[in-house]
Amino acid sequence: MPDWNEIVRKNLRVLRACSPEFTEELAAHLEDSYEALLREGLPAEVAFQCTIRQIEGRRKDWLELRFLQEDIMTDFTRKIALPGLLTFAASVFVMYAWMFALGHVQPKIFWLASTKFLALPLWAWCLLCLLPICGALGAFLSQRNGGSRLQRIAAALFPSEIMGTVLLLVFIAAFILSRFVPNYGWDTSVALKGLGLYLLGYVVLPAVFLLLGVGVVEKAKRTPSHAM
Amino acid sequence: MASVNAQIKRGSAELAVLTLLAEHPLHGYEIAKQIEAQTGGVLRFDMASLYPMLYRLERKSWLKAEWQTLPNGRRRRCYRLTPSGRKQIAPLRAEWRAFFHALQSVTGFQNA
Repeated sequence: MPDWNEIVRKNLRVLRACSPEFTEELAAHLEDSYEALLREGLPAEVAFQCTIRQIEGRRKDWLELRFLQEDIMTDFTRKIALPGLLTFAASVFVMYAWMFALGHVQPKIFWLASTKFLALPLWAWCLLCLLPICGALGAFLSQRNGGSRLQRIAAALFPSEIMGTVLLLVFIAAFILSRFVPNYGWDTSVALKGLGLYLLGYVVLPAVFLLLGVGVVEKAKRTPSHAM
Repeated sequence: MASVNAQIKRGSAELAVLTLLAEHPLHGYEIAKQIEAQTGGVLRFDMASLYPMLYRLERKSWLKAEWQTLPNGRRRRCYRLTPSGRKQIAPLRAEWRAFFHALQSVTGFQNA
């Protein structure tokens, strides 16, 4: 009787990085296949070749790929992190594309774009108005991967979550540095005010606009349709 | 109206496995063989599609797997449906019924 555990270990090297239970279970499957073929009357060598074919060639590659996917692609990765990172990338792209466009428009239009409306320049409002598209993208991708409503919102708000985390980490790092570096020039009230403003501008306000995009996806989801 | 999952293939395989396990616990090889036998060979699972799906359903807590020692001394990982998994069957069936009904109204074919 072939040692199926050893055969699986030898053929599917990627499983070494996964749970040992995977190997044992696949070996058991091969063993059952092999014995079923023997019961059908196939010679041992033919039965062995038929069985081993299940983990050879393209099937082997596919099997390894699927196991890697299952091992690495946890629910968090699939439903929040990946859609979230794509949303973040889209937001950064939109921001840079908009800044680039502003830098190359006529001075008159640039002046118009610099006029302030509710304490923010018009160009910033235009930029914020593009964020719902990014939010909708994150929510849509998360939904496509089976994300719940909360997961869709978390994915869409990923850019704000990243910015918020970075700002808080910088604040904490600066605070710790001020304790150890003499003449660091730390003023807690100024730093807190700055943090508040940055959080408002880079986290809260974008989050509101990203959420608008989630709203669109949620509304579209409620519309009965059978998209394939 | 229930919405139909975009990943038709995955959805149909999940429904087939859940329905089969609603009757009694089975291990991977038995699941593949029984589905193949019951569908006259139309639905076939290879290892690359069966096990990742079983692990996914297990992670969703729709299935629970336990190692069992058979009378011949061999160990097999048996899957059984959890109460949460059992609850999924009715909505999945409704989803598929709605899908086939929609398809039928477009294509005009019967007995999907």
